[in-house]
Amino acid sequence: MLEMHNISKIYRTDLIETHALREFSLQVAAGEFIAVSGPSGSGKTTFLNVAGLLETFDSGTYKLDGQDIRGLSDNARSRIRNEKIGFVFQSFNLIPDLDIFDNVDVPLRYRGMKAAERTARIANSLELVGLSSRMRHLPAQLSGGQQQRAAIARAIAGDPALILADEPTGNLDSLMARQIMDLLEKINSMGTTVVLVTHDPELARRAERNIHIIDGLVADTVPASGARRRERQGPAHAESATD
Amino acid sequence: MLGYYLRLSLRSFRRAPGLTALMVSTIALGIAACIVTLTVYHGMSSNPIWWKNGELYAVTVNPLSPSQTRKAGDPAYGSSQLAYDDATYLSGSGIPKRETVLAFLFGAITSTPDQTRPLPVMIQATTGGFFRMFDVPFRYGGPWNAAADRGPEPVMVLSHRENAKLFGGTDSVGRTLLWSGHRFRIVGVLAPWHPLPRFYDLSAGDGGPFGRSADAFIPFQWGPTLRDWPAGHMSCSSQGSASSTYQGLLGSGCTWIGMWVELPTRAARRHFRAFLQAYAAAQRKAGIFHAVNTHLWTVSQWLSLHHIVTRRSGLLVNLAFALLTVCLINTLGILLAKFLRGAPLAGIRRALGASRRQVFAQHLVEAGVLSLAGAALGLALSAAGLAGVRLLYRGSAAAYGKFAHFDPIGIAWALALAVVATIVAGLYPAWRIGRRPPATYLKSQ
Amino acid sequence: MALTSHPLLSALRRNPTGAVLIALQIGITLAILVNAAAIVTHALQKMDRPTGLDTRDTFAMEVADLSRQFNVYSASSADLAYLRHLPGVAAASVIVGIPLTDDGGTTTVGRLPESQGPTITSAYLPVDQQGLRTLDVPLVAGRDFRASEIRVPTVAHPDPRIGIVIVTQALANALFAHRSALGQSIYLGGRTPSTIIGITRNFMGPQLGGGEHAYDTVLVPEIVTQYAAYDLLVRTQPGKRAVVLREAKRHIDAADQNAVVGYTWTLSHAKYRMYSGLRNLAVFLSFLTLVMLVLCCLGIFGLGTFNVVTRTRQIGIRRALGARRRDIVTLFLAENAITVSAGAIFGCFLALGIGQWLTTHDGLARLDPWYLLVGVAVLALTSQLAVWQPARRAARIPPAVATRTI
Ligand SMILES: Nc1ncnc2c1ncn2[C@@H]1O[C@H](COP(=O)(O)OP(=O)(O)O)[C@@H](O)[C@H]1O
Ligand SMILES: [Mg+2]
Repeated sequence: MLEMHNISKIYRTDLIETHALREFSLQVAAGEFIAVSGPSGSGKTTFLNVAGLLETFDSGTYKLDGQDIRGLSDNARSRIRNEKIGFVFQSFNLIPDLDIFDNVDVPLRYRGMKAAERTARIANSLELVGLSSRMRHLPAQLSGGQQQRAAIARAIAGDPALILADEPTGNLDSLMARQIMDLLEKINSMGTTVVLVTHDPELARRAERNIHIIDGLVADTVPASGARRRERQGPAHAESATD
Repeated sequence: MLGYYLRLSLRSFRRAPGLTALMVSTIALGIAACIVTLTVYHGMSSNPIWWKNGELYAVTVNPLSPSQTRKAGDPAYGSSQLAYDDATYLSGSGIPKRETVLAFLFGAITSTPDQTRPLPVMIQATTGGFFRMFDVPFRYGGPWNAAADRGPEPVMVLSHRENAKLFGGTDSVGRTLLWSGHRFRIVGVLAPWHPLPRFYDLSAGDGGPFGRSADAFIPFQWGPTLRDWPAGHMSCSSQGSASSTYQGLLGSGCTWIGMWVELPTRAARRHFRAFLQAYAAAQRKAGIFHAVNTHLWTVSQWLSLHHIVTRRSGLLVNLAFALLTVCLINTLGILLAKFLRGAPLAGIRRALGASRRQVFAQHLVEAGVLSLAGAALGLALSAAGLAGVRLLYRGSAAAYGKFAHFDPIGIAWALALAVVATIVAGLYPAWRIGRRPPATYLKSQ
Repeated sequence: MALTSHPLLSALRRNPTGAVLIALQIGITLAILVNAAAIVTHALQKMDRPTGLDTRDTFAMEVADLSRQFNVYSASSADLAYLRHLPGVAAASVIVGIPLTDDGGTTTVGRLPESQGPTITSAYLPVDQQGLRTLDVPLVAGRDFRASEIRVPTVAHPDPRIGIVIVTQALANALFAHRSALGQSIYLGGRTPSTIIGITRNFMGPQLGGGEHAYDTVLVPEIVTQYAAYDLLVRTQPGKRAVVLREAKRHIDAADQNAVVGYTWTLSHAKYRMYSGLRNLAVFLSFLTLVMLVLCCLGIFGLGTFNVVTRTRQIGIRRALGARRRDIVTLFLAENAITVSAGAIFGCFLALGIGQWLTTHDGLARLDPWYLLVGVAVLALTSQLAVWQPARRAARIPPAVATRTI
């Protein structure tokens, strides 16, 4: 699914160069669920940004779904982001003046889908995250956990092959964090590759594989610890608990 | 997709109604001020026959004293009209495609035998070439021919207005009018034709350069034939000398005749210039001219020579553009601030797969809607502004009011300016957002 | 101030576009404001010049021949005889050319015969013996024309080559500088001299072009008869102008079946119209400049408000860290002051540039630095006013927003 080889990313400002990623190599197979952890400033977000084509890299090779990313035009990259990748951010990044329905609608609009198909997909994904009844609410009218679930609905509405989540539970309490984790596992179980950045060792343990980044380098890879459980709770059930 | 962008724009306006109103009214004010100024300028100084600017030339030979204190280029230096002898000679060259001479006559015409009191009229004594040279539109009939000029034959062309007054606007070609004891046959009636300023004859008349055109036109030679004193501007280098009789006037150096030639090709211009030069040189040798100082003036040169295009009205145009610049800068500033504040949202859209072009288009639509609204409001405002200008000019020459009418050129300007406003004020912020990688905007606050 | 200006400058530096745009606006507005003020003042001064005439009680009327059968001299004599006996008329005269209008003749005037020395172009006003009285212009030296000296077509002039003229003081000065012009010979265009028998106080004759030489007029004793029209100039007793004008027009229109009263001018209207271009320019210019100033302030106000909204959190943090309301207001005002200063510097250069251009192309006097000073003051004040409201609004932001996430 995702093959990075010797990627390096340097941020240049007037005064200093920051080597955010150096000789960064990583392979993620299709359908895998991996957790990325590391100290603050170690390059986790940078890795996700590069993986999600939000940023370019300076050297190395990166293949996404077998396609070489290097040298693609901005247009092509936008296209890939739109069709193959779903993002989930720590700060949700919902568009505040669009309601939940319209927020989920955004990536579908850019894909140029017909209205009927968009409506169907939005309904499906909102249903999956358990927010069908809230589709006409504005983000500000929802709790943090609900906002993040809305963001996940938006990420999966376009049926991406890869979900990139950057500390999606960082702003949530542990109960809500667990529900989000459940949701991501459920999405993963339907075949979507998930890359999750988190500090929370408990959540990380639920992934199939743990990556540890220090100073822009993959420090060590912990294979599936066995702690990962395959059985899931129903999300609708989970939701009624939080409200 | 356009519908989607429109919806997003409306949402964005609703989020900041005050700012939106401010931007719309800024654009509107700028456009309105610009239209009003341009319309006034257009009315005050435009060249009413711009399409022939490279072809029509006024002829001057400046026979006045070289010791004048005025600078060359000033109309008071020499004269912008010709003396009778000069005009007669110069119009015999056969070089120009067309040529004409003109002077104003004053008089009264009688249309029916039982009319008790003749009607006072302004008469343009000119040649048949006049109508073709200046693209004068006819409603009925047409200009007289060269034979009528030579005769002169008693033929007359009526203005639209005069024909309405005398004949109720019906086709009067073939009917006759009495002027100066002679019966003139009407050969043509003009369609409404009011070039403002009256570039072809700026001399006095009623209301000067912004006055109306003549009521009737007759062959030029009727003036000398009937010894009818010209009613337009006249200047004589030696006041009182030999000019108290008409014969004296014709022989004197007094200048009172306007002359225009149509020289469409370069060769014709060169040829005619040489002819003029040779004539002036010969006159100088004979001691009649003091200097060889001939000139051909295009219509716009002619207008600025006579200060019709006042330097001050040009100033107004510059001012209008400065004002528009301020408006554009203003809108640009506000729009830029607004768009940059919205940059994180654009970043989210980028992360969700919007291409640069799509983000660009969205911003462009928003700026476009703003400027269209501004342009619409600006048009309404300029209608009000022009009403104000009419009020301002009401006290002065009646004709001044004419250029305070809404004209299509003004509207075209408004639209063009709105487009420029969109492009300048909308593209830059959109471009600035699109330039940076989307990740920049996604950092958690 | 020194304390607050540092973080402020860095804020300006980090997002300079908005500030640069405001400064640009202020610069352009200042430049236009200053030059427009100079032009308008110039126009007002020009309009304020004395005409030297009794504009309130004087009118002129053009009488035109319709038939070509009519004798201008006898017709005008009859009109004058009538007018001079009409109650309410103070004086009446037949002239060619109407003061304060561009309807009149010009002549060249020189101290030497034509082409032997420099000449001046002057308005040329033929009058009869009542001309000066009708114009109500006093002589400062010499004498008026006598009735016997008026050249008329019916009487052969003793020696038509020797003329007498009266000139205005301005023209006399232009010709003879500080020497006395009285009794001197001058040449009107040709080679025959005329003697100056009188010098009048300055008045505006028929206008020459732009009116820069408005006071240059030479009066000659002549009733001009070769035109098919003549002008009557009438001065009435105070307040009688309207009545007399109506009555005279009615009478003359009816008196001769071949004569028609063309246009009538009151001198006050002539003066009004003479300056209409200048006046309209002044009004228009003032209005546009005002619009520009308002726009500039709206822009500052808008961006200011916007800044408050976007910097709510930052301001909240400052407040939480102990900034007083006054400090916040000062912050905004100071920020604006910096922008305005930059704009003013740019604007001064621009203003001087435009002023220079106007001086070379438009003959306007050099821009007085005072205008610049006043302009900067006006802009500084209005822009501070424009930013005052947003600043107050910023000051009302509670420190608590610092702890809230957006
Ligand atoms: N836009 C940027 N410009 C300069 N340096 C950056 C930028 N973004 C991140 N960095 C630097 O790169 C390094 C890695 O950052 P990041 O990937 O955000 O770390 P984290 O692991 O906490 O997500 C940090 O040292 C950070 O300061
Ligand atoms: Mg991070």
